[in-house]
Amino acid sequence: MKFIISLFLILLLSDSVFSQDKYESGMKINLAKMDECKNSNDYLKVSNSFERIAIAEKDKWLPYYYSALNCVLASYIDSSKTTKDIYLNKADKYINAADSLAPENSEIYTLKGMIAQARMQIDPMNRWQKYGTEATNNFTKAIQADTLNPRPEYLIGVGLFYTPQQFGGGPTAAKPVLEKSLMKYNQPAPENDLMPHWGKEQVEYYLKQIDGEK
Amino acid sequence: MFMKNIFAVLLIFAISSAVLGQTKISGRITGEDKQPLPGANIYIKDSYDGVSSEVDGNFSFTTDEQGEAVLIVSFVGYLTYSQNITLDSKPKHLDIVLKEDAKELGTIVISAGSFEASDENKAVILRPLDVLTTGSDGDIYSTLETLPGTQQIGETEGLFVRGGSASETKTLIDEMTVQNPFYSSVPDIPSRGRFSPMLFKGTIFSTGGYSAKYGQALSSVLVLKTQDLPPKTQSAINIMPLGLGGSHTQLWENSSVSFEGGYYNLGPYFKVQPQRTDWDKAPESFEGSANFRYKTSQTGMLKAFTSFSTGSLSLYFPNLDSLPQKDFYHQKSNNFFVNTNYRNILWDDWTLFAGYSVGIDNIDNKINTDLANRDDIFHTGKLTVTKNILSNAFLTFGGEVQNLDHTSSFNALKGNFNETYLAGYLEADVFFTNDFAGRIGVRTENSKLLDKTNFAPRLSFAYRLGAYDQLNFAYGKFYQTPDPDFLLYSKNFEFENADHYILNYQYIGTDRTFRIEAYYKNYANLAKGTVFTYPYFDLPAIPFGSSGKGYAKGIDVFWRDQATFAHTDYWISYSYLDTKRDYKNYPTLASPPFSTPHTFSVVAKRWVQSITTLFGLTYTFATGRPYFNPNNPKFLGDRGKNYQNLSLNASHLLSVFGNFTVLFISIDNVLGFENLYGYNYSTDGTIRAPILPTALRTYFFGLFISLGETNPY
Repeated sequence: MKFIISLFLILLLSDSVFSQDKYESGMKINLAKMDECKNSNDYLKVSNSFERIAIAEKDKWLPYYYSALNCVLASYIDSSKTTKDIYLNKADKYINAADSLAPENSEIYTLKGMIAQARMQIDPMNRWQKYGTEATNNFTKAIQADTLNPRPEYLIGVGLFYTPQQFGGGPTAAKPVLEKSLMKYNQPAPENDLMPHWGKEQVEYYLKQIDGEK
Repeated sequence: MFMKNIFAVLLIFAISSAVLGQTKISGRITGEDKQPLPGANIYIKDSYDGVSSEVDGNFSFTTDEQGEAVLIVSFVGYLTYSQNITLDSKPKHLDIVLKEDAKELGTIVISAGSFEASDENKAVILRPLDVLTTGSDGDIYSTLETLPGTQQIGETEGLFVRGGSASETKTLIDEMTVQNPFYSSVPDIPSRGRFSPMLFKGTIFSTGGYSAKYGQALSSVLVLKTQDLPPKTQSAINIMPLGLGGSHTQLWENSSVSFEGGYYNLGPYFKVQPQRTDWDKAPESFEGSANFRYKTSQTGMLKAFTSFSTGSLSLYFPNLDSLPQKDFYHQKSNNFFVNTNYRNILWDDWTLFAGYSVGIDNIDNKINTDLANRDDIFHTGKLTVTKNILSNAFLTFGGEVQNLDHTSSFNALKGNFNETYLAGYLEADVFFTNDFAGRIGVRTENSKLLDKTNFAPRLSFAYRLGAYDQLNFAYGKFYQTPDPDFLLYSKNFEFENADHYILNYQYIGTDRTFRIEAYYKNYANLAKGTVFTYPYFDLPAIPFGSSGKGYAKGIDVFWRDQATFAHTDYWISYSYLDTKRDYKNYPTLASPPFSTPHTFSVVAKRWVQSITTLFGLTYTFATGRPYFNPNNPKFLGDRGKNYQNLSLNASHLLSVFGNFTVLFISIDNVLGFENLYGYNYSTDGTIRAPILPTALRTYFFGLFISLGETNPY
């Protein structure tokens, strides 16, 4: 009897422990899949996987955040302007869902800025006024919400790198911003490895480009 | 022994439920048109189990969940699908059809007879930036003259649309009519538009068949929408050969104020660039404007704009009746304009617009010793309400009042009239299906002066043929009170009337647009009569009345391509027009001087990143237009030369002391075509003088400096 009761209890307990593992392993599996994506369809599949986790968990902002991030990465790769906008529309939906679960969140503001930046790149001549301002506002809020977040400065730096010099951009303008970002990446990493930690490689790549040009 | 059995049973139970617990679900996701939908998200509600559909729409996954569950399929642009499913380890095959979500895909736009330039609507042909970068002088009207449906009339200002005269096109700013959108008129010399294109975030240029919200324009309306809050606080300086201007915009969290001023004097420019016109004192003007915007709430916006300008000029005209004498012509003009409006969305689905505008114009002309003055005071108020009714329709209704006090004097003779015009309108926009939409409306107008009322039905339909193309149709009755010149003499007129029938096919792809439109306009009750002006010719004097009539028919073609050539954007327009009318002092039906059968334009722009410069080219060709020759027994039987013009421009972006700057250079009529618009004749018809452009070539440059932050970030 005792054995059967304890067996039952073990089975019951393992169910609740398992669901916490289920979330973590689900997230980790899909984070690993992100590195293997080769085309926009792959990114969309990973985005959908994160969406399923988000809908099942109901109160977690992180899976919505990654759904949005994968849509943005899909938009970078895809060549058609209309499709880019469609992916960014999806990204908007997901990041707004994340925002409603975790307002005033630095990573969410960063991603909102990234989406605005991507929209601007689709048609810079016509869109820089509207989306350029939106991007700056979001990056500023991101830094205010968490001064140790390196990603806003990484994105600002990359934006400046590609902006013509006449508009106040170019490699010289980008360098100090990217260096600041790299300094923040080199700070000790947070414990939770589900939180966003991307971007360091890209910052190092751009700083190399800038130094190489000199 | 017993324990072992129970344990074994439990173990077998546990294992079998693990193995038997999986259900395989597979199938295909398509839209209603049987096309596969790749990347749809298929999953079991409240579980992680699911998968994305492949490129061919097929999907397959296994789930550990058991029992009664809900299967959900979601895909952007489509309504989310859900169904009950029993997970009993037996494989399930489901072919699921998703329905389009009309709100997501974007509603079809009703567009027969109109070109819209804005960022709000996806299916637009022009962008606000196009208005700034086309044409050689930064004037909205120059850009519109490269679109099909407009005629090239070099000797006077205004938009001449599909056989209509300039007065048949009205300019509206924020829904309200502007009485005098151009600087004061000088004979045979075109004036510019008053308002800078920078003020506007959107333009709707309708070449016919326009909404019941607008009236008093037999041919077309140009609806300009002003900017909302500016993006940031900034100042700007403009330096041009014709003068200097400056502006400052201050932005707070929910409001902004802008001031602008300028002093323009063409004197120095004419010394360097000799003109064919015999100027005594080149045009000199001083103008200023102020703009206030206040965002009252998330959806509310209050705007107030005011401008004033004062100017003078004088020149000599050859007197053909007593050469080599010249007539001396002097003009002094003042203009004051206010436009204020309020817009808001109330209680979720009521949109309210209320506006008031006033324009005051004083023009004093002196011809030798004669004085010919004109004074206009024009008030207009408008109220429009829009409400959603049902999920697929909305209703618009409202009213407007216009009051014009017009005084005209010639030496001691003085004429005046005061007209009050009232109009009410009711219009329904219905989206019958995702692919078929209609706009049905009626406008009723009353003129106090004419003591007449009219009813003007308006219909428009749009039918979507595919993802990018659409068929459009429009029909409408359009009324207009006769010109002020006529109203000074008589009130016995009907409303002038034009019936429009328009059919078009348009394709708006990602980077290419094609449009072909056919139209027929029937004119009736056009004002007739002889208004005596110098010089007098032997034309029969016609009593005042509304017996005029006419027709205009034609085909307009438009092609725009932003993809074929790298970094290059070009458009081509062609118009064919066949029109005749009998109005004003015409003795018979004739093709009017502001019409010609063939007009062709090419506009091309190319951005060169390495030197951050935008190069532009505009080429226009038009067949010769009719002109009046008193010696020809056939009225308006002579035709002028074919018109050709090639203009080039370049906008270079640079940084001056860290400030974002645009250097703009343009040359009009680069190839020096000798264009001739027509002739002026002496009273006896023996002597004539050609009407030519004011200079063979026109050179223009401008430096626009934006002070403050240069970085879009």
